[in-house]
Amino acid sequence: MVTFTIDGQKVQGEEGQTILEVARENGIEIPTLCYHPLLEPFGACRLCVVEIVAGGRPGLQTACTYPIGEGLEVLTHSPRVIEARKVVLGLLLSRTPNVELIQDLAREYGITEPPFPTDTPDERCVLCGHCVRTCNELVKAHVLNFSQRGIERRVGPPFLEKTRQCIGCGACTIVCPTGAIETVLEKEAVYKEKPLGPTSAIWVPSMQAVPRVPVIDTDTCIRFRQNDRTDGEIADACGVCQMICEAGAVDFDQQDEILELDVGTIIVATGFEMWDPAQLSQYSYGKSPNIITGMEFEHLSNAGGITGGEILLADGRKPERVAIIHCVGSRDHNAHPYCSRICCMYSLKQAHLVRDKTGAEVYEFYMDMRAFGKAYEEFYERVQKEGVCMVRGRGAEVEVLEPQNGREDSKLRVKGEDANLGRLVQVDVDMVVLSTAIEAPHDADRVAALFGLSRSEDGFFAEAHPKMRPVETNTDGVFLAGTAQGPRDVPDTVAHAGAAASMALALLDKGEVTISPTISVVDEVLCSGCKTCIALCPYTAISFIEEKNVARVNEALCKGCGTCAAACPSGAITARHFTDQQIMAQIEGLFRVLEPQAVEVGR
Amino acid sequence: MAERYRADVLVCNCPACTRAGAPEMQQALKAEVERRGLADEVRVVETGSRGFCSMGPIVIIQPEGFLYCQVHTADVPELVEETLVKGRVVERLTYKEPETHKAIPRYGEIPFYSKQMRVVTRNCGLINPQNIEEYIAVGGYQALGKVLTSMPPEEVIEEVKKSGLRGRGGAGFPTGRKWEFARNAPGDVKYIIANGDEGDPGAFMDRSLMEGDPHAILEGMTIGAYAMGVHKGYMYVRDEYPLALRNLNIAMEQSREYGLLGQDILGSGFDFDVQIVRGAGAFVCGEETALLASLEGRAGNPRPRPPYPAQSGLWGKPTNINNVKTWANIPVIINRGADWFNQIGTETSKGTMIFSLVGKVNNTGLVEVPMGITLRELIFDIGGGIRDGKQFKAVQTGGPSGGCIPAELLDLPVDYEHLKEAGSIMGSGGVIVMDENSCMVDIARYFLDFLKDESCGKCTPCREGIRQMLRILTRITEGKGEMADLETLETLARVVKEASLCGLGQTAPNPVLSTLRYFRDEYVAHIVDHKCPAGVCKALIEYYIIEDLCTGCGLCRRKCPQEAISGEKKEPHVIDPALCIRCGVCHDVCKFDAVAVR
Repeated sequence: MVTFTIDGQKVQGEEGQTILEVARENGIEIPTLCYHPLLEPFGACRLCVVEIVAGGRPGLQTACTYPIGEGLEVLTHSPRVIEARKVVLGLLLSRTPNVELIQDLAREYGITEPPFPTDTPDERCVLCGHCVRTCNELVKAHVLNFSQRGIERRVGPPFLEKTRQCIGCGACTIVCPTGAIETVLEKEAVYKEKPLGPTSAIWVPSMQAVPRVPVIDTDTCIRFRQNDRTDGEIADACGVCQMICEAGAVDFDQQDEILELDVGTIIVATGFEMWDPAQLSQYSYGKSPNIITGMEFEHLSNAGGITGGEILLADGRKPERVAIIHCVGSRDHNAHPYCSRICCMYSLKQAHLVRDKTGAEVYEFYMDMRAFGKAYEEFYERVQKEGVCMVRGRGAEVEVLEPQNGREDSKLRVKGEDANLGRLVQVDVDMVVLSTAIEAPHDADRVAALFGLSRSEDGFFAEAHPKMRPVETNTDGVFLAGTAQGPRDVPDTVAHAGAAASMALALLDKGEVTISPTISVVDEVLCSGCKTCIALCPYTAISFIEEKNVARVNEALCKGCGTCAAACPSGAITARHFTDQQIMAQIEGLFRVLEPQAVEVGR
Repeated sequence: MAERYRADVLVCNCPACTRAGAPEMQQALKAEVERRGLADEVRVVETGSRGFCSMGPIVIIQPEGFLYCQVHTADVPELVEETLVKGRVVERLTYKEPETHKAIPRYGEIPFYSKQMRVVTRNCGLINPQNIEEYIAVGGYQALGKVLTSMPPEEVIEEVKKSGLRGRGGAGFPTGRKWEFARNAPGDVKYIIANGDEGDPGAFMDRSLMEGDPHAILEGMTIGAYAMGVHKGYMYVRDEYPLALRNLNIAMEQSREYGLLGQDILGSGFDFDVQIVRGAGAFVCGEETALLASLEGRAGNPRPRPPYPAQSGLWGKPTNINNVKTWANIPVIINRGADWFNQIGTETSKGTMIFSLVGKVNNTGLVEVPMGITLRELIFDIGGGIRDGKQFKAVQTGGPSGGCIPAELLDLPVDYEHLKEAGSIMGSGGVIVMDENSCMVDIARYFLDFLKDESCGKCTPCREGIRQMLRILTRITEGKGEMADLETLETLARVVKEASLCGLGQTAPNPVLSTLRYFRDEYVAHIVDHKCPAGVCKALIEYYIIEDLCTGCGLCRRKCPQEAISGEKKEPHVIDPALCIRCGVCHDVCKFDAVAVR
């Protein structure tokens, strides 16, 4: 602990701290410009000068660089200090008369007009070096640096020419306090691949999730990109998030891990995937950036999204006309015959959002409006009253028109049949939103095999009974929740999941369950280890014991269906209480009426 | 070896003498000596500079100590015939006292030398710098031997501390203490650096030393390395000094050959080697932190201290940086003892200082004098007074960022403290003498114009402040200044001096502050009367022809590029001020001094 005085006030700090750090900890105001807590001290702007009157190098020193020491006496607002700051701010304001930050700082010291002649009214750079130090110390791309000397000093890449060393991370733009750097992305930049992707490398995938945990997008994170780009040569770039996270929660070495848990019940809630509309070429998905899916629309209109919630076209304009096409991939024998159930309502919500945020004309192409839930029909009516044009009939085709009047972007033409009018219609719009179907995840078959689930024709997991047992499966202790079982909206999913949870809890609460004694057993002496039974078991109840080279039945899972017993080529499996002899005895018992002489039953 | 020769003919090979024709003359001299069959008795030696640069090419004949000035090829036969064969002085070639034209044949008696005290430059101009044996013959490397065999490192530092030696690079920090910091800094790997990045325009002390006596620097460094426990040294030399680089390289090679550099020096087990790094010649790279940045391969920008280089220097290791002149002092201190050394000079400034005396003095050149000598002695006794009988006006010490000291202070003793008090600095030893024809406003403007380009631009006061000061000064020299400008200038200058990051900015306002302090009337004349008293600032002067002196020769009329001069033959001419661009050609060409300035 080092004790010294600032403006006559006794303060304490750790060895190695600077005057500025300790002053700020104690609420003593010292203006700064080139100081940045994440960067090495630079001492260039000279705004943070303080006067050292005893215990150190006397005179004006920069608080951001000067280390504290026992007995140091510092003045932060002596006449010398004020005069120096005034002159420095006057000089900076004369260099950059139209930079707000400098104007504000200067005003605090009573300077409202540049005191010296200015010949660079458009200059924005104050040469604080935030960008240079960020590029070199943090990003480690070593692209930006100072060149020239004296008043000619400027910031830029080597020879002020474009360089391939720039990774386009945009960090310089972010740290620049005066807005002097603009990032212009070239066509091949990484963001092009993700037009509606996260805006920052750290983002919260689901704002509603609890706990709301952010994740690092390793494709855009400077640290991961530098590591990948240089094959691990630059492995310690940036790391700013780790430096500032007070909870110490950022771990770059985190890897996916496999957890093995012993559980009593399992709820399968594997959800759905969006169907890819590029599979049906009539919708021209991918041919224009203004043809987007409903999910992409959600990213666009999200306040935390790339446009800050504004609904904009790819070129940044507001759309004037928007078409929303329902049932893209649903109720279609070329894709999914089933109804995806959620699209009608989210399409109506999106129509409402477009009207509300942009005032654009909205055309909804729908087959039937399935507003089945509570208050859904009322919402449908409200949207109609908002002036959304409802066209009853499937949107048949989206055509990307040639650009007109020398404009770069092109209009989109949506064609379809209006069943109410009984004729073909077409409308030219700026944006098309495809309400795409939801479908079972692509790896649903692997999940099904894992848990011994069956799948219905639509690809979703099948429940034990469509009416009576909607959350159970044929495997005891395994339940379904939400869209894993079939398309459903949020309220239905919550209800379904609640049911699954209570079913699971009921089972867990018992602690142990009574199972039917009619199960199969393997006679390990007879078993030849052919594994025929394992593939056949519908309940995945049979496992293979490698050491003994035999099959073994899990008694908790076995339902005693007898498939294995029937199929076992070695006759090693018997179904308890349904042994061949028992069945034969029963048959013989039946026929005893016909043959009065009793046969000895059993052994 | 030298005993075998009857005479040594020392020919200065410094760049100034080379430009004046020294190499050709030396060839002729060698050929003449050969032709006369004197090659066994007389040796012609190439040396570094003896400092009398205005008189080159210089030839010194030992052991007589004759000094011949401006010796050219045509003078060679007479020189050999008279001096080397007959032992007589060639009076024609000797130095003449400017007033009386009395010939002074021996260099020790020339006033330029008689007031000097050559400690650091003891060997410059007297030995061949490319031959280590000559350095050894004059006692070189004795100090190193003494240190390595009989002095523990602490004792060496104690001796340097006791000597009172202060850094000769400009700031004047006590060398011994600096060494002690480096020695006590934790860490196994440490470095020492010799700063030979002499950036002041018109200064050539470091160059002459590196050219004329490279071994003295190397020996000093090796002693310092031993004292501080360092095994690697760097010499940062500007690339514009090719001869210095060549001589240093030769010296290093020879030292290694003789076991005076490299592994196991003099069998003591101590290892030390030096590497030369060539600087690209930015003025700011003379600042130690900027030098470190440049040495590490980065742009030469300074950084705030602390941490000082002794704590965290080259590549973050403890580093000691001293000027080449400081290093060259070390062997003398060790050989002759701190007590001898600290008797030279003043209470606070010990030893000698080398100045490059330039400007409007008769004897320009390199001089080494004890600290505490007065400016008057320096300028009038050694420098031989002001050229062309003009009036002394001011002297600027310490290079472009030094202050201008007026005639009233000519009796000021030259040491670190007195110069600072007078508003100037010791700097690395540039001394520029100005006469009555120098405009002090223009001088301040001129130096700021130099510094504007040499500021690295890192810190705001230096980068922006120098520009704005320069702007105001330029305005004043154009006659557009206002009295309020003087106050603005003073405030700006004060803040730039106090708040700048490095020594460049902290001293840059010195020319402004000192001229405002001592020559305020000149500023007022420019602003209020719209006149430049010295007749320098073009916007404020007028050329006119003095009727009585004009003979009507017409030379000015023919030379005037603007055809601004008219007049009949043999009648007084007239200059039309409306057409005149004040180029001064008429003034320069007039053979009758009839063109005057007002």
